[in-house]
Amino acid sequence: MRYVVTVAGHEVVVEVDGTLVRVDGATVEAAIEGDVASGRVVLTLDGTRYPLRVSPGAARGAYTIGSAGWTVPVEALDERRRAIRALMRATARPSGPTPLVAPMPGLIVRVHVRPGDVVAAGQPLVVMEAMKMENELRATAAGVVRSVAVLPGAAVEKGTVLVALDAPGADGA
Amino acid sequence: MRPLRSVLIANRGEIALRVVRACRELGLRSIAVYSDADAGAPHVRAADVAVRLGPASASESYLRGDHLIEIAVAHGADAIHPGYGFLSEREWFARAVREAGLIWVGPPAEAIAAMGSKTAARTLAIQAGTPVVPGTTTPLRDAAEAEALAAEFGYPVLLKAAAGGGGKGMRIVRGPGEVAGALESARREAQNAFGDDAVYLEKYIEGPRHVEIQVLADAHGTCLALGERECSIQRRHQKMIEEAPSVAVTPELRARMGAAAVAAARAAGYVNAGTCEFLLDRHGAFYFLEMNTRIQVEHPVTELVTGLDLVQWQLRIAAGERLPFTEPPEPRGWAIECRITSEDPASGFLPSTGRVMRLALPTGPGVRWDGGIEVGSTVGLYYDPMLAKLIVHAPTRAAAIARMRRALDDLVIDGVATSADFHRRLMDDPAYQAGDVDIQWLEGRLPALLAATPDAATTRRIAVAAALLAAHERPGTVASHARPAAGAGTPPTDGASAGAAVVDGGSAWWQAARRDGLGGS
Repeated sequence: MRYVVTVAGHEVVVEVDGTLVRVDGATVEAAIEGDVASGRVVLTLDGTRYPLRVSPGAARGAYTIGSAGWTVPVEALDERRRAIRALMRATARPSGPTPLVAPMPGLIVRVHVRPGDVVAAGQPLVVMEAMKMENELRATAAGVVRSVAVLPGAAVEKGTVLVALDAPGADGA
Repeated sequence: MRPLRSVLIANRGEIALRVVRACRELGLRSIAVYSDADAGAPHVRAADVAVRLGPASASESYLRGDHLIEIAVAHGADAIHPGYGFLSEREWFARAVREAGLIWVGPPAEAIAAMGSKTAARTLAIQAGTPVVPGTTTPLRDAAEAEALAAEFGYPVLLKAAAGGGGKGMRIVRGPGEVAGALESARREAQNAFGDDAVYLEKYIEGPRHVEIQVLADAHGTCLALGERECSIQRRHQKMIEEAPSVAVTPELRARMGAAAVAAARAAGYVNAGTCEFLLDRHGAFYFLEMNTRIQVEHPVTELVTGLDLVQWQLRIAAGERLPFTEPPEPRGWAIECRITSEDPASGFLPSTGRVMRLALPTGPGVRWDGGIEVGSTVGLYYDPMLAKLIVHAPTRAAAIARMRRALDDLVIDGVATSADFHRRLMDDPAYQAGDVDIQWLEGRLPALLAATPDAATTRRIAVAAALLAAHERPGTVASHARPAAGAGTPPTDGASAGAAVVDGGSAWWQAARRDGLGGS
């Protein structure tokens, strides 16, 4: 099985064939003991053992691996999953204006809009506080507010949808 | 004087735990307080009793001085220890505590007031003969006046627009020939930018370090300087690493800075622990900035090199004890502290949130962990992002750096992004290792530190490990059930105490994995 592994921004191709691994033009005997659930694994390369720390990432094949003073996010994708991901990226086209999401964790200070409001691109929708500063979050495209998911005072995580928008003209607006 | 038998700790997190431990060791009863966000926090369980303050927001909990005093009185506290931050430097609170008949573990309200504003502290320091950054307090009339003042302060000097900001109307002047031209352009720029051409002059401090002096004074007239801390490794005025002693301070300079700090503290009528902050230029001249009238975050590095327990001494001084020595101890060895925060260097140091899923703490000789988290702790946005302090002590600075690298390698915090790896990079930096830094150094070094990646061999090993793990994880293999659903892990809240050497959340992963495997939730 051929994997493309992204390590701290670098792509490394690793071919796994039973107990043999081909990487950077060299073939080595490789094995891993332990699993992600234990937090620790031992990698053996040509008889030398390397203890590694590991924790699971957000998706299958994604981990955070620690070795020799480094803790880095990695993702190993096989050919099939790489193909699926490329396909999803090519076909993923937003069906309307993208919803407003929290770019960072923070506290909602003010909400400027209500469902049904017509908004222009660049119009401030929500003010959130993060790192002791108020940040104005603006609409990336024109649209009609479908729903507002937060109230002032709410603590939100990064990626939380704050305001959902419909395309302008939808619902007869 | 009221005997001191029990203490209310008006704080949270690592410093609350630190004070609880000091109380316990002195045989004092400790009373913790908590907001709704902290009901299960380590400091709540460590104290003899814990009392709810209010909702999570600090303004409704840890900043409610009236509630704190009510609780202290109702639960029979003799004293209130404010920790740092929150109400620790509020004159009105120190006064209210005293007026309620309680002991304030800190300086008198009058001393807090005297050091309360930078201008008041500066005036007091000048009266005490403590050097401050020389500067004018009225706008410059003309170039002749500017030249006369510059000659008095010594070049280089800085011209600064009164309305200032963003470097506009600011000029560094390195010699007498440049004064007239620089003043003219600074005025023009200030007029254009702020509609006000008033310009001040002050001495320009080259390559300044932030060096502070720990002061400890009892109520019987003994006031000692316990040496310096070097705090120049800062990002946006937030300290990231502190050390004691400083590579830039000789025994002779230590004695002079100590005397200057003690003079300022005495002028303010200071009692208890406090810190005088100075700028130290590359020529060994130092200038008083302000005095922090409380225990500092970085107090452990002074504790390690002096052998004194500063928090215990705060309590003993508040109880009326005398300091048993009249000369400060010489620093022994070298101590370094890293502030481990829930700030993610990879995303511009934005605060990260989450739940601590796994925690392995470094141990071994010369390693100290002052933390406020444990497995299961939720890291939110209501309070300061500092999770813990990792402190090491070793005979020399090089040995302390090596020890900190080792300790950071041993530290595992899963579930929340932290600054720990960034600290690890800093320990490898040649300029840091040489001690060749000033307060601007880290900002300039940030891009290189953030762009650093592992060497080729490490990268290859990590890549092979990830590929093998992914291969094991493919459907049909046992390990495919090992991944917990995102956010589904419910770690045990009765996890091992924060003081334990290794706190492992493996059972949480196991539970989550089992749920996943059973197809539940």
